[in-house]
Amino acid sequence: MLPYILLAFLNGAIIGTSRAVNGKLSTRVGPFKASLWNHVVGFLFLTLVLLVMNDWKFDESGSAPFTAYLGGFFGALFVAVNSYVFPRLGAMTAALMVISGQMITAVLIDYQDRHEAPGALRCLGVVIVIAGVYMSRVVSASQHGSRQDSQQDSRQERHNT
Amino acid sequence: MLGRSTDWILGVAGGVLLALMTHYNGTLANHTSSVFGSWVAHGLGAVVALVLVVLTGRAFRPGRKSAGGGSGQAGEGNGGAGNGGSGNGQRAAAPLWSYLGGIPGAFTVMLASIAVNSDLELSGTIALMLVGQVLFGIVSDSFGLFGTPRRRLVLADFLVVLSVLVGSALIIFGGA
Repeated sequence: MLPYILLAFLNGAIIGTSRAVNGKLSTRVGPFKASLWNHVVGFLFLTLVLLVMNDWKFDESGSAPFTAYLGGFFGALFVAVNSYVFPRLGAMTAALMVISGQMITAVLIDYQDRHEAPGALRCLGVVIVIAGVYMSRVVSASQHGSRQDSQQDSRQERHNT
Repeated sequence: MLGRSTDWILGVAGGVLLALMTHYNGTLANHTSSVFGSWVAHGLGAVVALVLVVLTGRAFRPGRKSAGGGSGQAGEGNGGAGNGGSGNGQRAAAPLWSYLGGIPGAFTVMLASIAVNSDLELSGTIALMLVGQVLFGIVSDSFGLFGTPRRRLVLADFLVVLSVLVGSALIIFGGA
């Protein structure tokens, strides 16, 4: 069990690494080109993996619905949006905001799939996540504000002397 | 304050896109395999990204010309770039490693599929991955990993971490 726990945990750090690297590229070539490179390089890497594993599983019966192929569309948009905000928000805040949007959407998707309202605990979870997002913005705004205040103070002091 | 809020809104919107991506990729993986499904999604994603690059390239080209016209602005842009800013001014060349973000991104799919099939199941795997992401973010901010600007964390940041993770845990483990 412990190896799997470490694996899942490490996987979170690997996701963070991928986003940090894409974010860096985005500051140099723009978010959409960063998304393009991410997908081309990932596609080539997975091609190698499939060649080594010889595990090609084309959906020959055509049983997969059309919507199964929508993931690539949302993935391309996600990498572009995330690469853009990553260097602006910082690694931690970017991860927290993405997690928030992801968890709230997951509750809504489950609600749509099951035609059953989410339970009380899940609703409480959504409220706490939203409170966290709001707090994050307020904390950052107050830090930014106090920095400006102190700059103004020092300027005024210089003016007074 | 309102202008900067866009970054937070876009961050959350990114999460919405990610959840939709995971949802549809999950359908594909059920009909094929997780690695093969991810291969298809990366291929389709590359095509969509290429279309976006072409479309936005056209849309932004006139804007870039006018930005280059103001020499005073361009000078300021260069100063900002020295601080690691993401301004639209002249950009330095991207280091080679920054093109390789797709490799850890694709690797993630394989690791996740191993963990999901263990006793951790989907909920445990997701929860641990979320904690791993946030801890990585904290380490990355403290040391400025991968050329990102360093950020000192304040006590209130941990309150944000706590709410998002506790709220997520309630959503993951709180039942239907």
